Amino acid sequence: MSSSTTTSRTTSLRTTSGRRRTRAGIVAGATALVLLTAGCSGGTRVGGDAPEAASGDDAGLGDVTGEIRLAYWGSGSRVDLTNGVSDLFVAENEGVSVTPEFTDFAAYFQRLNVQASSGGMACITQLQGRQLNDYAGQGLLLDLQPLVDSGAIDVSGIPEDVLDTGRGTDGALYEIPYGAAYDAIMVNTTLAEEAGVGSPADGWTWQEFFDYARAAQGSLPEGVSGVNLLGGHPNTFIEWLRGRGQEVFEGTEAAFSADDVVEYWSIWEGLRGDGVTISAPDRAAEAAQVEQSWIAQGRVMSDNKPGNQIGQAQGAIEGAQPGQELTTVQLPRGEDGSSSTVLFTSGWSIPRSCDNVPTAAAYIDFWINDPEANALFASNNGAVTNTEMLQAQLDDESLDPATRQTLELYQEIVEDEPPTVLYPAGYQANFETAFQRAYEDVALNGADPQATAESFVENLDAALASA
Amino acid sequence: MSVREGARAGGGGVGPAVARGVAGDPQEASVPAAPHTSSRRRREALAAYAFLTPWLVGLVGLTLGPMLYSLYLSFTRYNLLSPPQWSGLANYQAMLADPRLQDSIRVTVVYVALAVPGILVVSLLVALVLARGMRFLPMYRAAFYLPSLIGASVAVSFLWRQLFAGDGVFNALLGVFGLEGRTWIGDPDTALLTLVALSVWTFGSPMIIFLAGLRQVPRDLYEAAEMDGAGPVRRFTSVTLPLISPLIFFNVLLTTVNSFQAFTPAYVISGGTGGPANSTLFYTLYLYQRGFAELDMGYASAMAWLLLVVLAVFTAVMFATSRFWVYYGDER
Repeated sequence: MSSSTTTSRTTSLRTTSGRRRTRAGIVAGATALVLLTAGCSGGTRVGGDAPEAASGDDAGLGDVTGEIRLAYWGSGSRVDLTNGVSDLFVAENEGVSVTPEFTDFAAYFQRLNVQASSGGMACITQLQGRQLNDYAGQGLLLDLQPLVDSGAIDVSGIPEDVLDTGRGTDGALYEIPYGAAYDAIMVNTTLAEEAGVGSPADGWTWQEFFDYARAAQGSLPEGVSGVNLLGGHPNTFIEWLRGRGQEVFEGTEAAFSADDVVEYWSIWEGLRGDGVTISAPDRAAEAAQVEQSWIAQGRVMSDNKPGNQIGQAQGAIEGAQPGQELTTVQLPRGEDGSSSTVLFTSGWSIPRSCDNVPTAAAYIDFWINDPEANALFASNNGAVTNTEMLQAQLDDESLDPATRQTLELYQEIVEDEPPTVLYPAGYQANFETAFQRAYEDVALNGADPQATAESFVENLDAALASA
Repeated sequence: MSVREGARAGGGGVGPAVARGVAGDPQEASVPAAPHTSSRRRREALAAYAFLTPWLVGLVGLTLGPMLYSLYLSFTRYNLLSPPQWSGLANYQAMLADPRLQDSIRVTVVYVALAVPGILVVSLLVALVLARGMRFLPMYRAAFYLPSLIGASVAVSFLWRQLFAGDGVFNALLGVFGLEGRTWIGDPDTALLTLVALSVWTFGSPMIIFLAGLRQVPRDLYEAAEMDGAGPVRRFTSVTLPLISPLIFFNVLLTTVNSFQAFTPAYVISGGTGGPANSTLFYTLYLYQRGFAELDMGYASAMAWLLLVVLAVFTAVMFATSRFWVYYGDER
């Protein structure tokens, strides 16, 4: 075999091998592109056209059948109770199956965002007024008013003020609120009695609340503060504004000024400087869980907490400070007596991508109006908004004391016609943690309050405008 | 006998003669076996690609694809809820004027600068002690390694929170010595230090690697050095350190990259805020906030690519400088 032949064959083999490698490379590249394109297209499908069943005189009416997905936040007992309600619904509607999807509150919205980005939201999706416009503003949710008008969903049992918390900034009804949470002043009555200030009476003003904590401070045990440090607490700021009759948002802009923020902060800095509140580092180190919060550990005499946390807080303080008792009272009012309480409702929405609107509508209607379902769920996620169901629960003598107190206080609040706050898209992302961060900068780093407040309002407006 | 003959002698299949021929004379071997080798190689290649397919699909679909897509997203305005809109370099320009990004970079650099040396020094010291040999060595080794397995977990981060709270165990310990404690995790001056301490506590993985390396250092080198009059410090600097320098290189690289990507402890201890006052706002935590809390996935993607570039440059610099300080025993 000659050397030239050998070289020639070698070259030929190498060329063939090279071509094969090239072809393999092309195939691999094409596969990658196909997969990449598939990934891109999957990630950009958002919302969808509203189904025909969601408009017209018979909107939401039709065959109640097939499978629907139900997405909500919660764990433990709420999962069992929700499954129980779904079982009741399925028992009444043959041929229907309900697939639950649940996670804890923090992870819920991350999951929802991912689902929304791929058009995969569950047909019945739980939302709150604070995040509602993030989704409604992107055209992801159905306007449920036609379904109410057609009779597919009966909301006659829900007070108008409460129902309005499910509306978007455009006035459309995107959520049927079923559970209402509210903030209240939680007071350690044992410490208050020992300090000689007694339990506060309803109808107090914000100034009287601050004076109450200040008056108690001198007589409280060492290491216990009159009130938690709420300068960076976004809810308290909003409620303080509402008590003064001020709006919080106007469209996509803050309706308050930097001066309002500075005034609010100066109140809390004054209390902190006088030793009436817990220290700023201790406030920053406070655990998020209510059982570990300072009020539930007996470290502060009063705090602003969700009213429905009284049961958990009382349970925790019985372990941490045996013998001490907690109660909740309505938030302080404005100087003219107007209510400061803002309702935070949780409710059900239907995304535009839902392909089984009649069944979703039937489920929501069942959830808010069926006596057996409501007796079972027992206001597990805020006071039940249907007044008839609320009264039925209050009439139940076996109702536990903590839930009874939560429901009774809610009943008082609703009779007061509480103000409604419409949260613009981007509220959750750009207001809550930013407000806390800005105050921490003042309280912990000594930042100038005026400059910090101006920067906060400016950034908030810019963020809300582009949300 | 030619390779082809050898192949025939082996039954026409893939016989030992082929292997011997290829190994013995590459030029000769590459020619005569062409038809058989060609189809065999094709079959082998197909088999190889078939076996590689799961990995290739994963690489393209789960790694390269998302990476390239995130590169595209970094040039868009994308809030997850509506389709991305091309915005050119806007995200990168916004990064230049973002005070929170600057805070997160400062926090991360300080964390890396404190945690990496801390981890390496502690792990090396413990490895030196364990390398001397002792009873119950496997038990000690496991005990020291255990924090590495659980250190980045949510449970331990909660524990850390309790440990360094105002009424936590650490302050109680200080009280025994008459020292006044503070709220370590609530004070911007000390919150990051608690995270550094948590990180240093998880020194197990580099310690195991150091321990393995120390046991490979030839005893005769120590004996020779000792006979030359070298004391313990000189033996450590002139024998131990050079011989374990490849492991130091490996541990520095791995620990630094991991530290830049630290997330869970800051997320849990600060409740996801990076507080107090941004003092624990790790780069990855801020990236997460922008992407998933503030729904600014375009900006978050740009941040991810900046981190990738920084880590790539750091790794390249480490490799480039390694020839000046890393000693491999087989070097001549």
